[in-house]
Amino acid sequence: MSAPGTTIPTEAITRAKAGDAEAWGELYREYAPAIFRFCRRALPTREDAEDATTEIFMKLRDKLVQYDQSRSFSAWLYKVAANHCWDTLRRRKIRQDKETEDVDKVPLEHPDANQLERLIEQRTSEEVRKALDKLGGRARMALVMRYYSDMSYDEIADALGVRRAFVGVVLLRARHELRQALERTSALAAGGTS
Amino acid sequence: MNHLDEMTCLLYLERQLDRARAQEVSAHTQDCAACRTLMRALERESRLLTRAMLEEEEPLPARLAKFQERAKRSLQWIWGVAFGLAATGAYALYTGYIEPWQQQLEQAGFGGTSLLGLLVFQGAFWKGWQSMVTLLEVIALLTLAGFGAVLFRRRIRRGSALALVLAGFCAALVLPAPVLASETRRGENIAVSHDETVKGDIFLMGNRVRVDGTVDGDVFIFSHDANVTGHVTGDVIAFAHTLRIGGQVDGNIRAAVNTLTVTGSVGKNALTFADYANLDPTGKIGGSVTAFVESLNVDGKLGRDMLIFSKHLGISGTVGGGIQAKGGTFSIGATGEVDGPVRFEGEVAPEVSPGAKLASPVEYKKWEHKRSYRDSGYYIWQVIWSAAYILFGLVLFALMPEFSQEAVKSAEQYGAAAGLGVLVGFGLPIAAVIACFTVVGLFIGVSTFFLWYGALYFGQVIVGALVGQWIMGRTSELWPLIGRMAVGFIVLRLCTMIPHVGFWVKYGAAFWGIGAISLAVYRRLQPVIAPGMPSPPPLPPNTTVGGVQPA
Repeated sequence: MSAPGTTIPTEAITRAKAGDAEAWGELYREYAPAIFRFCRRALPTREDAEDATTEIFMKLRDKLVQYDQSRSFSAWLYKVAANHCWDTLRRRKIRQDKETEDVDKVPLEHPDANQLERLIEQRTSEEVRKALDKLGGRARMALVMRYYSDMSYDEIADALGVRRAFVGVVLLRARHELRQALERTSALAAGGTS
Repeated sequence: MNHLDEMTCLLYLERQLDRARAQEVSAHTQDCAACRTLMRALERESRLLTRAMLEEEEPLPARLAKFQERAKRSLQWIWGVAFGLAATGAYALYTGYIEPWQQQLEQAGFGGTSLLGLLVFQGAFWKGWQSMVTLLEVIALLTLAGFGAVLFRRRIRRGSALALVLAGFCAALVLPAPVLASETRRGENIAVSHDETVKGDIFLMGNRVRVDGTVDGDVFIFSHDANVTGHVTGDVIAFAHTLRIGGQVDGNIRAAVNTLTVTGSVGKNALTFADYANLDPTGKIGGSVTAFVESLNVDGKLGRDMLIFSKHLGISGTVGGGIQAKGGTFSIGATGEVDGPVRFEGEVAPEVSPGAKLASPVEYKKWEHKRSYRDSGYYIWQVIWSAAYILFGLVLFALMPEFSQEAVKSAEQYGAAAGLGVLVGFGLPIAAVIACFTVVGLFIGVSTFFLWYGALYFGQVIVGALVGQWIMGRTSELWPLIGRMAVGFIVLRLCTMIPHVGFWVKYGAAFWGIGAISLAVYRRLQPVIAPGMPSPPPLPPNTTVGGVQPA
C-alpha cells in the first residue's frame, strides 16, 4: 500500500476497536489525508470529497469491530472508501456505462510506443490530474483504485461490480481516455500559444 | 514478427498473466525492440499516474481536521445537557401555562381532557381522529420516528430517511381509519326533507341548506344559510354564515359561523367560532359550551359549564355548571341562574342583576394589558425562553449544518429575504387555512401551519446567527456559527424586551428569518446544471516523468 503511512498502527487499531476514542483519533489523523486525496481523485468536486471523507470515516468507525486484523488495514480502508465513492457516483447517475463487458471488442493493436512516450514525456502531474478530472466516473475510479491505492484486480472487480477478467479492459480503456484528454489539452495549449 | 498487443503488455506489467504466458511475453520482449519500448512507455505511464495522484497539492481541509475532535471527544454529553434543558423547558412550560389552563378547564367542567385535546382533537377539524390518538401519542410517535432516523442515520440514506418520516406520517393517517360521510349533496338549495331518513354521515354543500328530516349520523354543512329543524343523531359540523338549530341534535355542535342560533336542543356540547351566538329561551344544550365569539347571549338552558372568550357575554337563562369567561363585558340578568362558580377576567367589572341566582359571587379579575417589567418572573421566563431558543437553534444547526449556513447567508440578502419573508410569512398560513377547508388537504393544511409556526422560531434563530456574525465576524464553520447564533440571539432577545419596539423587532426578525429560510429552500430546489470542476492547485509542482521541467 503506497498512499498512507507505512507503519500499521496495530496497537491503535486494537484500542480503537475496544472503543478508545483517543486511538480512533490517532487512526483518523493518520489516514484522513490519504482518504481525502483518494476521494478528491475519484469524485468530481472538492466538496464531494470532503463530504465523502467524513461519511467514510463514520462508516469505518461503525465497521471497525468487523475488521480482521490479520489483513492489511489500509487495504480494508481503501475498499470501504472505493465502495463509498462508487456508490456516490452511481447514485448520481454520472457513472459511465458506455463500456460493455464485451472483451472481444477490446482493441488488440500494438500502438506506436514512441508516440506514447512523446505524449507522456513532458507531462506534469498537474496536467495529468486535470486530464483525470475529464474522464468518466468508471475510468477515473478504476485508475484511482489501481494507481493510487494499489488495489488488486479482484478488489477492483468487486468494487466496480465487473468480472475480474474485465478489469484490465477497464484500465486500458481508461488509459486511452486519459491519453485523449492529454492530447486535447496539448492541442488547446498549442492553439493558445500560436 | 508479430508484436504483442497493448492489453497483453499491460497485463504482463501488472503481473496478471499466468506463468506460461508471462514467460512467452518475456521471451518475446528479449528479441523485439518495439514491444520493449511499448512496455517501457506503459510502465512510465503507470508511474506518471501514481505520482500525479499521490502528490499532496491540497492539504486536508480544516473542516475535516475538526472530525478528529468529534471523534476524540464524543458529544454524547451535549445531547444529555440538551435533553435535560429541553425537559426543564417543557416542565416550565407545562407548569407555567398548560397546567393552569387545564385546571381552569377542569373547573369549568371540561375535566379529563386537555385544552389542545379539546380544541384540536375533539374539534371539527379532527373529526374521526378523536377515538384514536391523543396529542401526546402523536408527539411520542414523531419523537420515536425522529430518534429512529437519528440512530439509523448512518445506515440509511437521506432519501430513505425522508421516506421513513413520510411513511410514518402516512401510517399515522391510515391507522385511525377516519370516519367518512356516506353521502354528499351539492347544489343551490339542499335539503334533507321532512320525511327522509339518512343512514350514516352526510355532507351538504350549497347556498341554502335545510335538514328537516332525520340523519342517523353526523352532518357536515358548508353553506351560507343552514337550518337544522329535523333530528340528527350524531354531530353537526358547520362552516356557514348563519346556522340555526331548531330541531334536535343528539351529539355536538361544532361551528365556524357568523351567526349561530340554537332554538332547539343539543344533547352534548357546543364549540363555536362565531360573531354572534345565541341560545334562545327555548334552546337547550345538554353539555358544555366553548365559544370564541364577539357576542354571546344565553337565554335558554345549558346543562354544564361555559368557557367563553368574547367581547360581550350575557346570561339570562340557566347554566347548570360554572362559567369561565374572558372578554370585554359580562352581564347576568335578573332571570339568570348559574349553579357553579363564575370567574370573569376582563376590562370592565361584570354587571350582575340583584335578581340573578348564583351559587357563589362572581370572581372578577381586571385584565392587565402589560406585563410588569418589575416582575422578576418576567426575566426568569425571558431567560428560559432564550435558553430554549438557543437549544432549538443548536439542535437544528447540528442536524442541518449546511442548510443552516445557507439560510444565514440568505439572510444577508436583506431585500430578498425581507420581501420573501412577508410573502411566505403571511401567505403560508392563509394557504394552510385554505387547505384545511378542503377535507382532502386537511392534514397538509395542519402540517403546513405547524411548519410555518416552527419557521417563525427558526427564523429568529437564523437572524440571531446573523447578528452574531455582525458582532463577532463571519465564520463558515459550524460550532463558531452556533456560538455566534447564541450571542446574536441574546442581543435580539434583549431588543425584543424594549417596550413598544420589542414586538416589531420580534416579528420583524421572525419574518426576515422565514424569508431567509425560504430563499435557502428555493436555492436548494434549483436543479444543478453540472458538477463543477475542481479548482487548480495554487502551486503546480511542475514534475515530469523525465524530471523537473525547465522553466
